Amino acid sequence: MITQNYRLDNTILKATEALKLLHSEKGIIEIDKDALAIPIKLDNEQEGYVFHAHGKLLLDTIVETREGAIGESVEKEIDEPFLMLGDTKDVEGHLSEANKENLTARGYENEQAFMDKAKDLLEQFANKGRVSHFHCCDNMHGFIFAFPNEAGKFDLLIARGSNLVYKALNKVFVSNKNRVVLKTPNETIVSSERKSIVIKNGHFTKCCH
Amino acid sequence: MVKIKLSEETKEELKKLREEIAELKEQLNNVTGKEERRHHGIYIDVGNNVRNYVEDVMESDTEAIHGELEKCVFIGPRGVRIIRGKPIEEEKEAEVNFTKMSEVMSALGQEHRLKVLEALVSGGKYINELQEKLSEITASTLSSHLKILEEAGLVVQEKVRGRYLITMPGRIAYNMALRITKFLERGNQE
Repeated sequence: MITQNYRLDNTILKATEALKLLHSEKGIIEIDKDALAIPIKLDNEQEGYVFHAHGKLLLDTIVETREGAIGESVEKEIDEPFLMLGDTKDVEGHLSEANKENLTARGYENEQAFMDKAKDLLEQFANKGRVSHFHCCDNMHGFIFAFPNEAGKFDLLIARGSNLVYKALNKVFVSNKNRVVLKTPNETIVSSERKSIVIKNGHFTKCCH
Repeated sequence: MVKIKLSEETKEELKKLREEIAELKEQLNNVTGKEERRHHGIYIDVGNNVRNYVEDVMESDTEAIHGELEKCVFIGPRGVRIIRGKPIEEEKEAEVNFTKMSEVMSALGQEHRLKVLEALVSGGKYINELQEKLSEITASTLSSHLKILEEAGLVVQEKVRGRYLITMPGRIAYNMALRITKFLERGNQE
């Protein structure tokens, strides 16, 4: 059960109520009651969870410019296992030990089946990230969410306060206070408080003040 | 490459433009750039390896964005040349989508929907703020107008905060309607 220095805990937990794993100005991640979770640990420190839950991801990946808004929100159903790394204190109090019924509801025959799935996911993330060791700092209040996508990679969401980085297959969105960057296959928008550059299909279209 | 002699005024404008582009690039660096990220950008302290992973993931996209900027801003015969929109040939070849055009015009062709756009020009608004501005219609009528505007691509709603925003095409369409109206009004007066 060890992926280099990561350790998946042997306990399978479930959410005792619906949880908001992320709730910021631009993003929400919610999971339903009875979501399955396995803690990711390093020594005895909690580093995150592998979740398998039904839930939703909402992100306002929209850039506001003086010439109008560009982009649209991301609205995705969550139904596959995913990783959450970061500050887990808020979640810990809302988890209890899962039973066989909870596992069956998510399509697992037994505990080992979910453990194997979680281990594969963690290994995949660790290998893709070339991560051999990490250790969360005591004062960390940020999150990394990694959702496996259809290309066999991860859609990555990094959030800290109102700051947000989202990298999916066809979209990169970076929001840092009033500075926003959005890149899609057809558009690149760089926007600050006063100015924006919009490039559509490789052609500069707007520079607004 | 065609050489054009530039006036002092144009040179000055170009200089200003260069400076502004440099400033924007610097801001882009601040948002996603490698050197500055630790101080100004999103920085989650989860140790060097995860940090490196995040940087690796973002680096390629940051370079791609820089590339797009370089390609569109720094080419052409005048030193600083900005390619605005698609080349004329491409515009000519593109078929007119009359269905979409009529959808947009239909969305514009209603007084309250134009009032919604007008309200959104000054910035994003929550539904209750819009309702205050359009107190003469019911909440359900307002919702149905917003739906039509959204479907036409003139308005977008933030799913997290719930605010409604006018889109770039929405602003263009509203300005166009405004200009035509003013032009016709002026014509009638004359």
